Amino acid sequence: MTDTVIAAPVVEAKGLSKSFGDFHALKSVDFSLPLGRIVGVIGANGAGKTTMLNAVLGLSSYEGSLSVLGVDPSTQRDILMKDVCFIADVATLPKWMKVVEVINYVEAVHPKFNRAKAMDFLSRTKIPLERKVRALSKGMVVQLHLAVVMAIDAKLLVLDEPTLGLDVIFRKQFYQSLLEEYFDEDRTVIITTHQVEEVEHILTDVMFIQDGKIVLEADMDELTQQFIEVMVDKGKEEEAMALKPIKHGSSFGKSTCVYKNIDRETLAKLGETRRLGLADIFVATMTGDGQ
Amino acid sequence: MNIFKALIMREILDGKNGYIRVPIILAAVTIVLLLLSSIGFGKAIHFDGMEKEGIESLGDAIAMASEKEGDELPSAVTLGYWAMTVLPWIAFPFVVFFSLLGSLYEERRDRSILFWKSMPTADWQEVSAKLFVPIIVAPLIFLAVVIAAQIVIAFLLSIIVLFQGGPMLEMWPLGLMIQTWFAGLTMYYVHALWALPLFAWVSLVSAYANRMPFLWVVLAPAILIAVEGIFFETHRIGKWISIHMGGWMDGAFGHYDKVNTGHIDGPRDVLAFLLGRPQLDALAFSLGSLHFWVGLMIAGGFIYATIEMRKRAI
Repeated sequence: MTDTVIAAPVVEAKGLSKSFGDFHALKSVDFSLPLGRIVGVIGANGAGKTTMLNAVLGLSSYEGSLSVLGVDPSTQRDILMKDVCFIADVATLPKWMKVVEVINYVEAVHPKFNRAKAMDFLSRTKIPLERKVRALSKGMVVQLHLAVVMAIDAKLLVLDEPTLGLDVIFRKQFYQSLLEEYFDEDRTVIITTHQVEEVEHILTDVMFIQDGKIVLEADMDELTQQFIEVMVDKGKEEEAMALKPIKHGSSFGKSTCVYKNIDRETLAKLGETRRLGLADIFVATMTGDGQ
Repeated sequence: MNIFKALIMREILDGKNGYIRVPIILAAVTIVLLLLSSIGFGKAIHFDGMEKEGIESLGDAIAMASEKEGDELPSAVTLGYWAMTVLPWIAFPFVVFFSLLGSLYEERRDRSILFWKSMPTADWQEVSAKLFVPIIVAPLIFLAVVIAAQIVIAFLLSIIVLFQGGPMLEMWPLGLMIQTWFAGLTMYYVHALWALPLFAWVSLVSAYANRMPFLWVVLAPAILIAVEGIFFETHRIGKWISIHMGGWMDGAFGHYDKVNTGHIDGPRDVLAFLLGRPQLDALAFSLGSLHFWVGLMIAGGFIYATIEMRKRAI
């Protein structure tokens, strides 16, 4: 099983490009995503995240070669969607439908939808089945969408800012149920979000995107081990600078230095060390020195 | 096929105000008006001051007609029912037009297209369903409501006639009524084929316009007509549109005037005429008309473009 999984990536892109007039939103990117991963795609607004995901989901045209589960998304979206699911934005559920009508519709068109599962998820929320989507709160709409998506036995789930505008409790619950009740080694989940701190503990892989290019593609564990921040002890500043930190600043009267790929034991001699959060790694990488 | 059925159900549900509520409300209004005018105000359809030959009520009138013009009565009653249920049909073209106009526009405006596209349905299936429901299904629903209304009206009038001692059964020319239901539907579908390029144009605008689709639908051809009129001093586009809006019937039936004048005499002739030749003539005329086939080809082009637009839309 694992052999075949490794042999066939879920998404494989070679020279994937997309332009809008003169603007090159994606500049010939290559990447490959295996099964059983939770990949965080992280980048500033307009970096090309959504453009890339739209290509993967068959929502837009592109240049270059792209294969998602062995299918060309631009021409076979309907076939692809039997194994791929996505929440592209908050509030895309049709507002005129009743909750139960949404469930009925998905049950009618989707061969891999498990109604009982969706009803089970819904029963744990306060969403009334007979109410129209229009009349649900923002949080409820996302819960409903998640209930629908989690009841579909898909191989790839793409979440593009799925929790935008929701309060923190909903966001936590959202990722928790995703991790506990949906994700397994037979699925891959791609997430883009601005709230990096909330997803970093569930990610297995990250991809940083800047100006239409993938600047970094890494395993989460390996990545966080590479970056170490040191609160430099007084008197050791010169020593610290000699090791060429990729970033340095000061807090609470002490200087802090961020290092990439330097042995932790060496750094421990300089002062207190800690791992860098994903958001800080992102900033360090994007500001240039960390690359 | 199950997917297509689900899409059709969804479209009906989405447009249930226009497809279901509008005809039912208008039919109900018709029936209520009829009730008020017959029962509400004093005696049930009592013809005040109409002393002619002793006709004092609907019952008398039907009895008299049955006796004197027995051949004409069933046709007159059938036509009467159609006249009484004309209200939903006045609303019908508006329902079809605005359903088509919104079908591929609203889903982009409220972003629900992203949800529809996350389902394993092809864009050609979506576009087909969005054409099929207003053009094919909506008239069936309207007709079903009108049939129900005609039966209710027949029932009400039967009771009135019964109480007034008239021949109640004369209010039930069922055979003729059923024939007109079918004839009306076939006639509509022949016309729908003629109007298909116009329907498809509305659908294309619905898939294309980012805002104000109504203006696009109307202004684009209006500008073309104006440009043609000013620079070429011809009126081909306008004429083409009017032919597909219904002007083709002039070609199909225009010669009837000259041939048949004087032959139509009374409701029976009208009905016999409506039930007999027009369907065949319309079909024969259409199939032999280059206009008809070119129109279908243009419709095909518009529909293809609509599907391509739907594929790219997010």
